[in-house]
Amino acid sequence: MRRVGSERAADSPDDPPAVELDGVTKRYGDAAAVDDVSLRVREGEFFTLVGPSGCGKTTTLRLIAGFEEPTAGTIRFSGESVAGVPPEDRDVGVVFQNYALFPHMTVGENVGYGLNFADPPEGMSRSERVAELLELVDLPDAADRDPESLSGGQQQRVAMARALAPGPDLLLLDEPMSALDAQLRERLRVQVRRIQSELGITTVYVTHDQEEALAISDRVAVMRDGRPEQVAPPRTVYREPSSRFVAEFVGDNNVFAGRVVHVEEGDAVDGERDDAPRIVGVDVGGETLRVNAAEAIDVSPGDRLTFCVRPEYLRIGEGESLVHATVESAEFLGETTRITLDWGGRDLVVRTRDPLSGEVVVGFDPADAHVIGIGEE
Amino acid sequence: MSGSKTGSGSTPGTDGGVSDASRGDDERRRTLRERVTGRLRGRLLTALAVVTSVTLVAAFYYPVGTVLIEAVVVDGVPTLAVFAEILRDPFYFGELARLFAGESPIAVARDLLGPDRRLGIVGFTAYQAALSTVASVALGLPAAYLLARFEFPGRRTLRSLTIVPFVLPSIMVAVGFVATFGTNGTLNRVLGALGLPPVDLMFTLEAIVIAHAFYNAPLVARVMTAAWESVDARAVETARSLGAGPVRAFYDVVAPQVYPAVLTGAALTFVFTFGTFPIVLALGGFELATVEVFVYRLVRDLNYAEAAALAIVELVISLGVLLAYLRYEARNTVSSRGVRPLPRRSLVPAAPTLREVLPRLGLAGYAVVAGVVFVAPIASMVLASVTGGDGGLTLDHYRFLIDRQQTGAAFQVRPWPAIRNSLTFASAATLLALPMGVVVAVLTTRRFRGRTLVDAAAMAPLAVSGIIVGLGLLRGLVFGVEIAGWRFAATGAVAIVVAHAVAGYPFVVRTVAPGLEGLDRSLIESARALGASRARVIRDVELPLVWPGVVAGAAFAFAISIGEFTATVVLATGADAYTMPVAIERFIGRRLGPATAMGVVLLVVTGLSFVVIERLGGETRGL
Repeated sequence: MRRVGSERAADSPDDPPAVELDGVTKRYGDAAAVDDVSLRVREGEFFTLVGPSGCGKTTTLRLIAGFEEPTAGTIRFSGESVAGVPPEDRDVGVVFQNYALFPHMTVGENVGYGLNFADPPEGMSRSERVAELLELVDLPDAADRDPESLSGGQQQRVAMARALAPGPDLLLLDEPMSALDAQLRERLRVQVRRIQSELGITTVYVTHDQEEALAISDRVAVMRDGRPEQVAPPRTVYREPSSRFVAEFVGDNNVFAGRVVHVEEGDAVDGERDDAPRIVGVDVGGETLRVNAAEAIDVSPGDRLTFCVRPEYLRIGEGESLVHATVESAEFLGETTRITLDWGGRDLVVRTRDPLSGEVVVGFDPADAHVIGIGEE
Repeated sequence: MSGSKTGSGSTPGTDGGVSDASRGDDERRRTLRERVTGRLRGRLLTALAVVTSVTLVAAFYYPVGTVLIEAVVVDGVPTLAVFAEILRDPFYFGELARLFAGESPIAVARDLLGPDRRLGIVGFTAYQAALSTVASVALGLPAAYLLARFEFPGRRTLRSLTIVPFVLPSIMVAVGFVATFGTNGTLNRVLGALGLPPVDLMFTLEAIVIAHAFYNAPLVARVMTAAWESVDARAVETARSLGAGPVRAFYDVVAPQVYPAVLTGAALTFVFTFGTFPIVLALGGFELATVEVFVYRLVRDLNYAEAAALAIVELVISLGVLLAYLRYEARNTVSSRGVRPLPRRSLVPAAPTLREVLPRLGLAGYAVVAGVVFVAPIASMVLASVTGGDGGLTLDHYRFLIDRQQTGAAFQVRPWPAIRNSLTFASAATLLALPMGVVVAVLTTRRFRGRTLVDAAAMAPLAVSGIIVGLGLLRGLVFGVEIAGWRFAATGAVAIVVAHAVAGYPFVVRTVAPGLEGLDRSLIESARALGASRARVIRDVELPLVWPGVVAGAAFAFAISIGEFTATVVLATGADAYTMPVAIERFIGRRLGPATAMGVVLLVVTGLSFVVIERLGGETRGL
């Protein structure tokens, strides 16, 4: 299946990326946990690896940290290969899901541990540096406490301070919030992002939570079966998913597939704009739905086309491609109600303010549909 | 890679910028140097592993090899004749020997089941080991039930005390048993006072089996208690909620988790009692000789080839059981993290119902039996040491020890050198066994191919006859070896220390490895990401977290050394490197009194040493 659109920003060729994976593969026996991955993380960027469990995101992080060596391919930090460099010499700070605070040391000793191997910044004593880091994570009085006496969120912040104390070039976070409850998670991710921006430290973040990934990142790599399916800023990933998997993994979505019945040449003026928006009619379950296929250049009647429409763009009684559906179930979420509709055996998801029941008419504007791909699935 | 952490990277509170111009050649040179030292640091563990291997080879595999080789090389010619002879000799293999000699298995099987069967020495050894195993499990099981399922004052202390019999010097236990079950022992005196006829348990199989149970039942109880305590109450609750009654839930959920521990205890008991020596020597004599006792006898008769062949037979059987057990253990290791243990019950019945009262009555009966088996020997020894021939209280036996110290001839065993030697050897052996054990534990808890093999090779000293180790060290190290024109020879004392360290370090491995295994990998990885080398992580993170295990290992190594008799008795011949257990054995041959007095001295010295080790090691969370 051909993919359409997505990665737009090109790296400036002058400065080498802070982290670069070049054809990196990690095999365990016959299975490839990470399969020929090439990624570039820019200096100062907050880069997130997101995907379902087993997609290879944590293995990728462990390869960057140096806990594992790749079976094939090269990892470069600022243009220099780190092959064979042990984790302790990579200048990385790592925060684990379970925080991994040393239980036999106080909070202060934990934060100061990395300073055994690296000097604090000039003009600063060890204890000043520890105090500074604890201040940074809003735990100014915790130095003498026992890590096990802290709450999960506090432990997570101590782990963060510990990872940052030696002044690493790269911060690696492996699902640091997945053991926390939802509210705390939202608060902490704001704090993590604030600290990251303050320090301008290049960060690679691993999570299975797509919402968290969208909220926190500069760019996101959505991974599946050991490969990134799409690498793009959160908005692009959300609005212009490059594959059906990404479309369905990131947020709620309605994905349709059907055959193109006609192509409207739109308002292209004198053939000047080849990529001008054009509307295609797609036959889905007997209805012809009109879709804006702006970037789908090579589309002609008979092609199979996959597109998606976000629930918030499916509107009751409005829009162009109107279909009749019946309400199947509704979940009240507070701000909105998430309603599942049945349309000729297909599920449609819409979000409304008011509850719905019985038979409804839903539609969408062609411009709100995003074409994922053309060709056989 | 930007090399040093110093000054590089971003700094909280500042702008996070890095002045790239100032890093330059200097930085690059530093990077190179750091990489070189980094390589060296990375090799430290390998270096330690090599040192440990060399020690093991020099102190164990080489000496043992030189002895065992005699079984297959006679007069410079490789042969299996010695083996063939042993296998076919009914003296060793009883009726089974006829099988090896080519007789019909059916005829042999019929005779084996008959009343006049001959077991031979190997058969008898296995038979008494099997009986001892059954007795140990039978005696250990109720103790585990009591310790795991009931709450009572002193429970923790009792649980800690279960380690004591295992580390008591075997020769001392033998003395205690003679003092209890001997012709003039406590048992017969109690029977006499009750007007009952005396029993003579000395030199009987029963005495040996009870003594072995004394040793191994607490071991069985320990491993079972640990397994029982790690049964998650939620698993039982789930079974109950699914409709299983309490008994059914026990069989379906608790028993399968405790059962592997029973096998562990049984396998270890079998191996230990199969290679038993001092107890049988003291309680059975040569009439009830086990393989090990007979190996000793053959060595004394300078019949090395047959001794070596017999020792190999013993080794194969012990190692077979041990390997089978290790395989089993590897398949059945379950993590017990985050477990909510079963609630303990009070020893006082909550209601006068049969189901409440019956188990407690059973435990009360068990307490009496346990008292006789575990407390009586030690108490009898102490009592016998202050009892004169007329039955009155006396300090004559201790006076004898002091007299012997002051006036004893050079060839006679004197108490002070024995105490001094024991303490010196034990301290030195502990200092040697600790790093060896820790290194092996670190290596065997990592994942790599051939790990089981390394594990087995490192654990082999547990299964090899102490006589053979002693003999190998005597001839390989003490008499000296010539390597590339250089002659290496060690004194008897050094050889004893080495032998004790080799005997003790597997216990260090066993106490340290579980802690390492249970360590969260991300702790180690965090430390490494923060800049610590692999060796530094061991020092800063792993050792502090498994420290209680290290202290326990030290206590074990010390106790093993202080109580070690088998290798010591071989190596101490003719030298004045005798230890307290050897002194006891020399006394016991003549009079029980001084032997019991010496036993009490050994008991006191061992006890004090434990207190010292515990103090030195800081807080230990249960052995």
